Amino acid sequence: MIDRSEASKYLAGKLKDELVVTSLGNEKYDLRSSGDRERNFYNWNAMGMASSLGLGLAMARPELKVIVYDGDGSLLMNLGALATIAMREPKNLIHIVWDNRSYAITGGQPTATAFRTDLGAMARGAGYPKVERVETLAAFQSAVDRALIEPGPWFIHCLMKDKPVKGGGLPSPTAIKHRFMDAIGARH
Amino acid sequence: MSWAESIVSVLKKYNVRFLNYVPDAKIETILAAARQLGGFEALPLTREEEGIGIVCGQSLGGGRGVMLCPTAGLGNSINAVAALAIAYRIPCPIIIGVRGDLGEFNPAQVAMGQATQDILDALRIPSYRITREDETEKMTEGALRICYASEGPVAILVTNELAGWKEGKTKS
Repeated sequence: MIDRSEASKYLAGKLKDELVVTSLGNEKYDLRSSGDRERNFYNWNAMGMASSLGLGLAMARPELKVIVYDGDGSLLMNLGALATIAMREPKNLIHIVWDNRSYAITGGQPTATAFRTDLGAMARGAGYPKVERVETLAAFQSAVDRALIEPGPWFIHCLMKDKPVKGGGLPSPTAIKHRFMDAIGARH
Repeated sequence: MSWAESIVSVLKKYNVRFLNYVPDAKIETILAAARQLGGFEALPLTREEEGIGIVCGQSLGGGRGVMLCPTAGLGNSINAVAALAIAYRIPCPIIIGVRGDLGEFNPAQVAMGQATQDILDALRIPSYRITREDETEKMTEGALRICYASEGPVAILVTNELAGWKEGKTKS
């Protein structure tokens, strides 16, 4: 099982001009504490929407790699997005899903992945061409290294340790938006 | 120009490229006009909430998209509208094919159709009901202008007065 804060530090060290959009879960805090950057878009409360935001970004900016930093609970709320992403097949999308088998941010209630559901199998069934299941930091590193180079869409299913996360302290939604858009020269 | 041709010509004028949709009969009329005019990318969705996330993502990237769906779909999408388009101030035009209103045959469409305006009003979402072909261009253009000016969601309602109601058998 992977320690997400360690893996997030590895990812942060590899990032150059890629865009990262997070779910509303704890992964956004690990990403931010691993190295805050202008091209990170932190999601305050749009349940399930990380994958759809990522698809929209990938469509609007095909020249940039877009990384979705998602969680099991968040993806389970928007499973249809798997089919839509696979159908649209954005080559520049990397969908990283942190699976701790629980709704950690609301007190650790179990999600369906604590029982019989396999999100990687669902992504494969939806039609993602590149699906990796990783359970160690080394496997995560290797999958990320490939995904940053090879065309996707990628689905990297990360089995992680359940570990407390220190959260809070995000900037306001509009501050996050303006910083992100300014960094990539985007205007409405 | 037909009402649907007016809508898509205004979308093109405002550089809207992405048509993200969950279909219904009125939406298909708009998509057909868009295919005729060319220059759009249409993306079918599994659920309307997805579409709000996708429009917001397109917008954050500097692209312009719209969400097209029937009234029932607004209900499916509402937390994304509130938590993304409103909270982050992201332009999100929503073109809604009205069901559950004048001439409706399907009992299960009525509650949502009748609540649509109140839902939009409760969230302070500017909304514009188009009822006549000769006002379609102006209403669509005006709605897009306030959408990009206010950087938030705006609803354009394609009514049965404008586009007709769906034929179907009422209850036995």
